Amino acid sequence: MADPLDVLRLPVVPIQPRPAFAAALLRRIQGRGVAGARDTATVRYFVDDVGAAVDFYRDLLGFEEELRTPSFAMLYRGDLRLLLSVPGGSHTLPDGTVPRPGGWNRISLRVDDLDAALTALRRAGARLRTGIVQNPAVRNVLVEDPSGNPVELFEPLAGYYERST
Amino acid sequence: MATVQVRYIVHDVDAAIGFYCQHLGFEEVMHPGPSFAMLRRGDLRLVLSRPGGQNVGGGSQTADGRMPEPGGWNRFAVEVEDVAATFERLKAAGVTFRGEVIRGTGGNQAIAEDPSGNPIEIFQPVRDSARLSPSS
Repeated sequence: MADPLDVLRLPVVPIQPRPAFAAALLRRIQGRGVAGARDTATVRYFVDDVGAAVDFYRDLLGFEEELRTPSFAMLYRGDLRLLLSVPGGSHTLPDGTVPRPGGWNRISLRVDDLDAALTALRRAGARLRTGIVQNPAVRNVLVEDPSGNPVELFEPLAGYYERST
Repeated sequence: MATVQVRYIVHDVDAAIGFYCQHLGFEEVMHPGPSFAMLRRGDLRLVLSRPGGQNVGGGSQTADGRMPEPGGWNRFAVEVEDVAATFERLKAAGVTFRGEVIRGTGGNQAIAEDPSGNPIEIFQPVRDSARLSPSS
């Protein structure tokens, strides 16, 4: 008669060493991941005044201040790391070209209630570059930070698509 | 899952898709028409919009008549282990750069340009606090 406890006994499966996995885990623990395997996306904006920019992103858009110097700041909002750099210094190109704020490329922040967000920004004196634009997927608006950099706020609508994997 | 969204304005969405997927490790998520695409790389979602139209999306002309355009200096960063090697490899593949490798406090970087002239920062941290790590 078979031992009734046999059903509880798992077969012995030899574990194959996986050096690649172990190396990746070690790098991650040590903070030395490989490109493309990171958890944080980084964006750099150029600003004329680090203090004013930090106030704007922290107080009006929910960023957390990680560190700040007179010429640089690092902020976080979820998985976004936003670097704020004052033009010049090491950012000057060899031909003397100096970066500057502005342009149209931007971070795009999701909000649940665009009207409420916009009301708060307006009350705080933030400049708007556009009115609210709407398509089947989103309503969005472009606000400007104190240096004139665009920040897009969007509210998802019925047609909004987000990959869930 | 992509949790951070960045929008770049590009003149040619197809050319931009090719550039970002071929050279920088992005994958295409959607490309429903010639004026828009959505790409992904880790936690970064990059949406590409072609300038034009009114009230049609991210590339729309503003109400006061200004048209979005590519370029500028604000950018997202792609972290690499060896910026000099990446710089040489991409340059050999025909990618345009703004200047050479730049030395900075937290790391060294090179600024690549996509086919529309938008900057991408290729960043190699030299200081642990500059890493995109999940460490403390």
